[in-house]
This record gives sequence, structure tokens and C-alpha cells, in this order.
Amino acid sequence: MAGIWLDVLDEIARTCSAHGRDDLLQTVRQKRTQLLDPKLRVLVIGEPNQGKSQLINAIINAPACPVGDGRTTVLPTVVQHAEAAYAAVAQAPPPAPGRSAGTATVVAVERTPVALNQVAAGVAGTVGRRPGGGPAYVEIGVPRALLGAGMVLVDTPGTDEIAAVGGAGPVASPSRADTVLLVSDSTRELSVTELDMLLHVMRSHPNVVVVQSKTDLVADWRAVAERNRQHLADAGIPAPVIPVSATLRLRAAAADDRALNAESGFPTLIARLQRDMSGKADQLARVAVQAVARTVVEQLAAPLRAELATQEAEEQSGPISRLHAAQREVDELRRCSTRWQNSLNDEVADLLSDIEYDLRDRTRQILRAVDEAFDTADPLVAWDTFQDWLERSLVEAAEANHEWLIQRCDWIARRVAANFARYGYDVLPPWSMTMPEDFGERLPELERPKVDRFTTGQKLFTGMKGSYGGMLMFGLATTLAGMPMINPVSVGIGALFGGKSIRDESKQLLRRRQATVKTAIQRHVDEFFVRVIRDCRDAARQVQRMLRDHFTGLTEELQEAIVQSFRSAKQEADTDAALREQRQREIRLKMTRLAALYEQSQQLSGPRSAPGLLEPRA
Amino acid sequence: MTVGVRLDEAAWGLLHQALDLYRANSRAVGQLRHQVARLEEPLRIAVAGPWRSGKSTVLNALMGEEVAPVEGADGAFTWYEDGAAPRATAYPVGQPAQELTVVKSATGMRVDLGWGAGEVRDIVVQWPTRALRQVTLIDTPALTGAGERGRVSVMDRVLRDADAVLFLTRDGRDSDLRVLESGRESAVGQAAPVNVIMVLSRADETGGGRIDGLLTARQLARRHYRDPRVGALAVNVVACSGSVGLAGRMLSESDFGALAVLAGVPRAELEAHLLSADRFCRGDLPVRMDPDLRAALLDRFGLFGIRLATTLVRSGFDNRVKLSAELIRRSGLTELREAVTRCFIDRRDTLKARSALAAVETLVRAEPVRGSEELVGTIEQILAGAHEFRELRLLVALRHTRLGFDAELAAEAQRLIGGDGVGLAARLGVEHEATVQRLWEVAADAQGRWRDRAEDPILPLAQRRGAEVVVRSCEGMLAELAAGGR
Ligand SMILES: Nc1nc2c(ncn2[C@@H]2O[C@H](COP(=O)(O)OP(=O)(O)OP(=O)(O)O)[C@@H](O)[C@H]2O)c(=O)[nH]1
Ligand SMILES: Nc1nc2c(ncn2[C@@H]2O[C@H](COP(=O)(O)OP(=O)(O)OP(=O)(O)O)[C@@H](O)[C@H]2O)c(=O)[nH]1
Ligand SMILES: [Mg+2]
Ligand SMILES: [Mg+2]
Repeated sequence: MAGIWLDVLDEIARTCSAHGRDDLLQTVRQKRTQLLDPKLRVLVIGEPNQGKSQLINAIINAPACPVGDGRTTVLPTVVQHAEAAYAAVAQAPPPAPGRSAGTATVVAVERTPVALNQVAAGVAGTVGRRPGGGPAYVEIGVPRALLGAGMVLVDTPGTDEIAAVGGAGPVASPSRADTVLLVSDSTRELSVTELDMLLHVMRSHPNVVVVQSKTDLVADWRAVAERNRQHLADAGIPAPVIPVSATLRLRAAAADDRALNAESGFPTLIARLQRDMSGKADQLARVAVQAVARTVVEQLAAPLRAELATQEAEEQSGPISRLHAAQREVDELRRCSTRWQNSLNDEVADLLSDIEYDLRDRTRQILRAVDEAFDTADPLVAWDTFQDWLERSLVEAAEANHEWLIQRCDWIARRVAANFARYGYDVLPPWSMTMPEDFGERLPELERPKVDRFTTGQKLFTGMKGSYGGMLMFGLATTLAGMPMINPVSVGIGALFGGKSIRDESKQLLRRRQATVKTAIQRHVDEFFVRVIRDCRDAARQVQRMLRDHFTGLTEELQEAIVQSFRSAKQEADTDAALREQRQREIRLKMTRLAALYEQSQQLSGPRSAPGLLEPRA
Repeated sequence: MTVGVRLDEAAWGLLHQALDLYRANSRAVGQLRHQVARLEEPLRIAVAGPWRSGKSTVLNALMGEEVAPVEGADGAFTWYEDGAAPRATAYPVGQPAQELTVVKSATGMRVDLGWGAGEVRDIVVQWPTRALRQVTLIDTPALTGAGERGRVSVMDRVLRDADAVLFLTRDGRDSDLRVLESGRESAVGQAAPVNVIMVLSRADETGGGRIDGLLTARQLARRHYRDPRVGALAVNVVACSGSVGLAGRMLSESDFGALAVLAGVPRAELEAHLLSADRFCRGDLPVRMDPDLRAALLDRFGLFGIRLATTLVRSGFDNRVKLSAELIRRSGLTELREAVTRCFIDRRDTLKARSALAAVETLVRAEPVRGSEELVGTIEQILAGAHEFRELRLLVALRHTRLGFDAELAAEAQRLIGGDGVGLAARLGVEHEATVQRLWEVAADAQGRWRDRAEDPILPLAQRRGAEVVVRSCEGMLAELAAGGR
């Protein structure tokens, strides 16, 4: 029979290495050794003071383990057969870095012999243990037939914390035991902690027995046992309850009293252990292999399941999501392109009307000043001074207006560039506008009106001096941001005429002269206005064109890059999908194999014959 | 001469300061008023502990009657307070209070909660007895493991509702200590462990029922008492068997008669019948004894109790009164009652003040408002400054390190600061009937010697500080004597 469960176990081992899980492989190998070992390893666990140590003593009828009140057992104690009684503290060398925990079990432990009258101190951890060493335990050898037949009893420190079960080192670990006895005394029912402890151990270890100790102490131990069985059934724990009294057993042994021995409940417990021992190679091993299969399959399946889950998550986050992102980039660029074109057009339109308004405002102020001046002054007398002033004022107005234009153009360039902010680099055009040096000379010149022998309609201005071919030039120059606006009319005209005396002429003549000059100047200023504005318009249009060319170029560049990355994202997504599909097929296959392995292990025994369900009664 | 602020006055002042600050918050005002009222009420002592640790039994033993538990009262706090006539009232959550039927019995009373509807948080039992003159006892539900979030844990409620706690644990195991430690998160909780006596309960079970089990239990208690971890949690550790103590207190002539009959059986023969509870109930005793009587004896005394009682009868405790007294003494109940008197009842004012401080601290933490930091400051000031707390802190320190004093000096210091009882005679270590004159002399002498120590520059700082506290205690005693002598 051994053959079949061993085959399954080896199959499990193979699966572990196929999955590259050396840690699990170690456990399986260790289990294999353990199951092939004919010895029965019995682990005794429980809350403090429940009589665990005394239970072991009573099983073997010898005071092997120290018994006491308060915390007695500190180190796990392994009680096994020996021709002559001995005791030793065994300690693994301190865990060396780089050596995995799995291999540590193979490492030879150091044994320090302990005198038999020092066993209590040894078990309390105060004798024979090197500080800083690895986990220590006490080994006690006793010449006893039961032990000689191959039983090893392991006493553990009491604990009411689930995490601490088996925490005292590998010898106290439930995974190394064939049978686990949980000791709970008769003075109360199983506590919540004890039930949790059982559930915890049950997960990895199917062969658990609840030993209800100290039945001698209370009258109602039968009722307690009944309620304990009920608690176990309610918690779904298939463990039998065996009530015992170590005190009675030891007394019976001393007095060789069979009836008392029977009363102690130990015959039932020992029969159970002996059955486990003889059935170890068969029944027990099969159940153990089932448990191993369950844990291994769980452990192997968990990462696979997790991988499947992450794959699904990645499908949303991996290359596909990059593809979506690239797609979004393409759309975004398209939107950006419309946006910047609109803002350029809007801004230039605004600019044109603003500039025109500005210049009109400035010329209007000049004209108003002229009107006021020639309401009193005589053109014949004041003309020369006046002409200078007018020319200078007009040049200043045009310059100021232009300065503003330049600033506005610069600003527009930035505004449009802001649409490209998300692409992260500086996209301003590499040029900006400047004011031509000879700006003033390009303006139309004002000629002296012929006011002596005046005729209406006579041309006052003989023409323009020089040709005025546009004011702006473009060049690589610094930006003009931050330049102060120029005062529209810088010099008051009244001051110029202040000292001039008006010729004594007839008032009428003077009026006429004044009117003529005013009209002439009006016309001149209008002409000036038209020219300057046309220039501004041209300049603005030119700027608009240049900006459009610049940003169109930029958009195209960006588009190319984005479309490129879109294409590669798409390609990546396609390959990834293929890879993923393949990996998923692999995982599914592995899962199917694991399921088959699990099936195989479960068929090792029918559920009816699982030893955990056989409940011996007193 | 006055020695600092009086703690009870400080607590009263603190409550009123808090009342003023929280006057807009009607719920807080209600709580604070309740605390003010509590200052005048009897001391509340809760019996708390894990599942089946013997809480109800210890409470009965302290009362000397079988009054606990109330059947079906799982999860409820049962308050036992003095009253003119036996009466029990249940307070279900969100329902009107309900009167319960009290059935008097020969040994006490029985109350059955007997209804399923709704969760009952409190049951108040009024019971006329001298034991409840000065204290209200509270039987509490089993402590659940730490970490049950969402609702107030039983331990939190115990610490909130009671002024002092008898914390029962069968073996003082780690998980039990951790529950106790969970109550030390607040400033008041950390100040001094004045309000907890740890009881190693069901002490008769120590040693598996061996006849020397109670002695072993007492040793274990002493070991715990010296453990600094326990020292930070409890003023005292006492081993006590509630069931043996209760059996002793309620020992009737017929009980004594039955035990005497058993004691008449030759020892070796009786021992065989007391090997196990089963054997005692079912075996053929060489004397005639009704199985029902045996079961009843076993139920009340336990196997250990019967072993102990028969042994005692044999060794000369040969009448009911003697046997009863010896059972009570051996069970540890006497020691427990003394500890309750010395640590709780004599320090009533300190404990009441402590409860008030803790309540204000809890309120301030839960609902901080502008100006509440000032309250926290006041609390800390009281904790640091009140002489009672300084004495208690020094007691804990002396217990574990003796501050480097030799054993004799440490013992004297401990006595003077109230470690052996807070009465003048106990503190001064003189006979109870000593005259005022003599008390004055002894106190003045102690004051002089400890002042020298407090001012001795050669001594380490910790010792000088400790000596200062002792001097203050002596000054307090002298002041008390002076006030009394006027
Ligand atoms: N041997 C012994 N048994 C005790 C002692 N005190 C209580 N018991 C037993 O322990 C059980 C529980 O006693 P209770 O006093 O009800 O304990 P409890 O802590 O109130 O229990 P819960 O309220 O259910 O948590 C009963 O069966 C008692 O007979 C004791 O001092 N010695
Ligand atoms: N009456 C009686 N007492 C027992 C029995 N078994 C153990 N005891 C007593 O219970 C106490 C604790 O026994 P131990 O065997 O030391 O308990 P443990 O579970 O090993 O305790 P730790 O090692 O400290 O966790 C001792 O005082 C024993 O005498 C029993 O069957 N009957
Ligand atoms: Mg032990
Ligand atoms: Mg109770």
C-alpha cells in the first residue's frame, strides 16, 4: 500500500521542482523522510498549565518532563527511547546568513549533556543553552517499551496565542508531527483560543486529538467532555476528545492498580497512539499526503491565480493602456491645432482694432491741440514753430503706437505658444519685432500752407518728402516686453506759442487764415493716420502669417512624433496580447495539472476511513 | 500646617472647571454631574477577569453569601449595592427598566433574568448587608480578547465605571496581562497603578489539587508581585480560592458534621476515596454518607476543599467556627479582604479622585474644545503634584528597586508612605492604641531622619527625591496630629 501514497508524494515533489519552488520541495522531502520513518512523532500542545508535561509523564509512566505551576516548560522537550536515561540540551548553531531555513534542519545540532537532576533547569531554559544560538530544545532519553516501539513525544511550552504554536523551533512544529495532542483541562470547556488553535493546526495537520486532562479534579468532567465535543462539532473540527487523568494514571502505575488505570482514561489514549503508530505507514501516511497535497496545491496555485488576476489588471494598464494614451495624444493634438489657430486669428483681429483706436485717439488729441492753438495764434507768425511741434508730435504718436503694436505681437506669440504648454518645450518663434532706426524720417512731411494769397482748395501740402514704405523690420533681437508706453502728446503746444505776438491785422483775415490752416492740418493728419494704419495692418498681417507658419511647422513636427508613438504602442499591444494569451494558456494548463494531482491525492483514501473521524470513547 | 492641595478638593475643582468649559454641551454636562455625584457615592469595586476565572464566586466570597451570578446575565454588569430590601432591576438597552423577581434561599438569593428580548447592559441588585455599606461590588462579564473593535471592550467599561478593580486571572498569563495593559494608555492610567489588585483566582487548583496547592499559589502571587511588569499594573497580588473561601464563610453545622465524619475515616483510607471526584461521589465510603450530600459537598468545596477541610479537622480545627475561620484564612480570602480594605477602602478618596481625573481626561480626549488643553494641564499637574500619587509611585519604585536603600530603610519608607496601611498607626508602625504624644514623637523622629536623607548631598538623586516624599508624608501626619490635637 505504501507504494501508492509514496508515488503521489513523489509526484508532488516533482511538481514542486517543476514550479521552481525549492522551499516547498524541502517540506515535501522532509515529509517523505518523516513518513518513511517508522517512528510516530506525537506533539503535545495547549495553553499553559493544562498538564501537557504531566500527560507525557503519564503516557510513559516516568517523571521525564518537569511539572510545575506557573511557566514550567520553556524549551520544547523531545522524549524518546534510550537504553539508559539521559538528558541533553540540543541547539542548532546560530542561523548563518545566506543559508535558507529549509536546509537548517539538516545542520547538525550541538548537544550539551545535562545531569538528570538538572532537567528542570534545562527545560526552563536556564541550563545548557548558549545565548545567541539557534532554537534550542531538550532531549530526554528514557528506557520505555512504548518509546522503544517507535514513539517520540514532544512537549512544548504552553501558549494561548495561535501565532506561537510551533514557534519554539522546528522540533515543536506541527508539520513535523504525526499526531498532535491538544491538552485542555477539565476545569473548564474549550476556550475560544483553543478552538482557534485547533482550526489553525487542522489546516496543515489532519491528525489531531483533544486530550481533556485532570478528570480527577472535577465531578462534572463528563459534561465538560460532552460540551467540548459539541464545540468541536460546531467549529467543524473532526478531532476526538479523550478525557484522561494523569494523576490517576501515575497513581495506578505506582500501585499497580488496573482499575484505577482504566479510570484514568489512558488506555484509550494509548490505544489511539498505538493505532496511529501501526497505521502510520498506511492510513496515517495517506492522510498526511492528502494534507501535503492540499497545502502544496494551494501554495502553487496561489501565485498562478494571482498572476491571472494581475494579467487581467495589466490588460487595462499595460500596452493597451499605452495605446489608448497614444490615441488620446493624437486627438489632443488635433484639438490643440484648432485652438491655437483660433486664438491667433482672434488675437490679431483684436490687435488691429485696438491699434487703430489707439492711433485715432492720439491724432485726435493732436488735432484738438491744433484747433485750440489756431483759435488765437496767427499762422503767419507761428508757422515755423508750429510745424516743428506738429511733426514731432505725430512722430511720437506713431512711435508709441508702434511700440505698442510690437508688444502686442510679442504677447500674441506667447498666447498662441501657451497652447503647446503640455508638450513641454519652448515653442516661441526664434525672432521678434523691432522698431526701425529711421522711423521718424519715413513720415509724410508737412509743408507750409500758402496763406498770403490764399484760395480755398489750393493745395497746401506740396507732397510727401521721401517715400514712406513701412515702419517695421524683423530681426533677431531681444523682446520688447516691459517697455514703458510713450506719452501720447509729449509737449504742450500752448507753451510754444506763448511768447509770439500776433500781427495786427484785420480780425477777418486772421480768422480765414486760421481756418485754412486748420483744414490743411486736418487733412494732413488724416493722411498720416491712413498711412500709418495701413502700415500697422500690413505689419500685423505679416506677423500673423509668420506666426502661423511657425506654429503650423511645430504642429506637424509634433504630429509626426505622436503618430509614431501611436504606431509603436499599437504594435506593442498586439504582441503583448499574443504573449499574454500564451501565458494564460500555460497557467490554465498548470492549474489543470494541479487539480489532477489534488484529485489523485484525495483518492488515496475514502472519506469514511479518515482517522480524524474515528472517535474513541471512554 | 497644610501639605499641598488636598486631592479630593483638586478633583472637585477639576470637575467644576470642566463643567464650566463644557457648559454648552448637555451630554458632557450630564457626564460631569454624574462624576461629581460619584465622589460622594460608595466606592465601586468591579470584579473582572477572563472567562470562568471565578469572578462571581469571588464576589460571593467577599459578600459571604451566594448572590452572584444573575442567571442569564451574560454580557451585563451586575451591580450589588446596599439597600433596605432585596430588589433587582434590569436595564435593557432602549427599553424601560424592569423589576426582576428575587428568590431568597438559605445561602443567599437567586435572580433569573429570564427573558430574551433586547440586550441588558446593567442589572442593579439591592441587598441589605454590612459588606456593601462602604462599597458597591460589580460582577462583570468575561473579558473578551483584546482587539474586538467597534464596541467598548469590557475592560474599558470596567475602568470607566469602577473606581477599583479586582482583576482575576488563573495564572497571570501573558494574554491576561495584556488586557490589563490596554487600560494604561491614558495619562491617568499611567500615573500609578492604584486601582487594580491582581487576584490569582481558583488558587485551590494550583498543583492539580495537591494539599499544598494554596501555599504554592501564594508563592506564585509573591513572584508576580515582584515582577516589574505586574508592578506597573497592580498595587497588589493576592492568591485566593473563591470557592474554598465561600465554603468557609458559609460553613454550616451540618457541613461541619459531614466533614468531621469524613475526617474520622483513617487517613490512608480516605485518601483513596479522595483520589478523584468520581471516586468520592461513587465509591463505597466506609462511613454512611448520602451520594447527594457528597455531590453537594464536592460542588461547594471541590476535591481540594474536602481534602483541606478533613485534614484541618484532624489537626485540631474541630468545631465549625474554628474550621470556618481556618478555611477562610487558608483560601486567601482573608488576605484578599485585607488588601481590599488597605488598598481600596482606606484610599477611597484617592481612588474617587482618580476616577474623576480619568473621566475628565476621557471627555477632553473624545471632545476637545478650545481651552481643554488647560484641563489636560490641570490633570497632569494634579497627577504629578498630589502627594497621594507621589506616595503610590514611590511605593512601586521601592517594591522593585528599593531605589538603592537597604532592605530595612526601604521597608521603613514603604511603611511611612502608607504601603502597610494608610492609618497613622500603620504608617508609624506603632500599636493601635498609641497615644497622640507617642505618635507625634515617632512621626517627628522619622521626619527628622528622612529630612537628613533628603538633604544629604552624597546620596543619589533618586534616593533624595524618594526621601523628600517620605518627609512630606511625615509632615502630613504631623499636621493631622496637630489638627486632631487642637
Ligand atoms: N476549584 C475552584 N473552582 C472555582 C473557583 N471559583 C470558581 N470556580 C468554578 O469555576 C466555574 C466558574 O465560576 P464563576 O465564579 O461563575 O466564574 P466567572 O468568572 O464568574 O465565570 P463567567 O462569568 O462565566 O466568566 C464554576 O464552575 C465554579 O465552581 C475556585 O476558587 N476554585
Ligand atoms: N489533578 C491533576 N492535576 C494535574 C494533572 N495533570 C497535571 N496536573 C497538574 O497541573 C499542573 C500543571 O501541569 P504541567 O504538566 O506542568 O502543565 P503544562 O501544561 O506542562 O504547563 P506549562 O509547561 O507551564 O505550559 C501541575 O501542578 C500538575 O500537578 C492531572 O491529571 N490531574
Ligand atoms: Mg509543561
Ligand atoms: Mg460570572
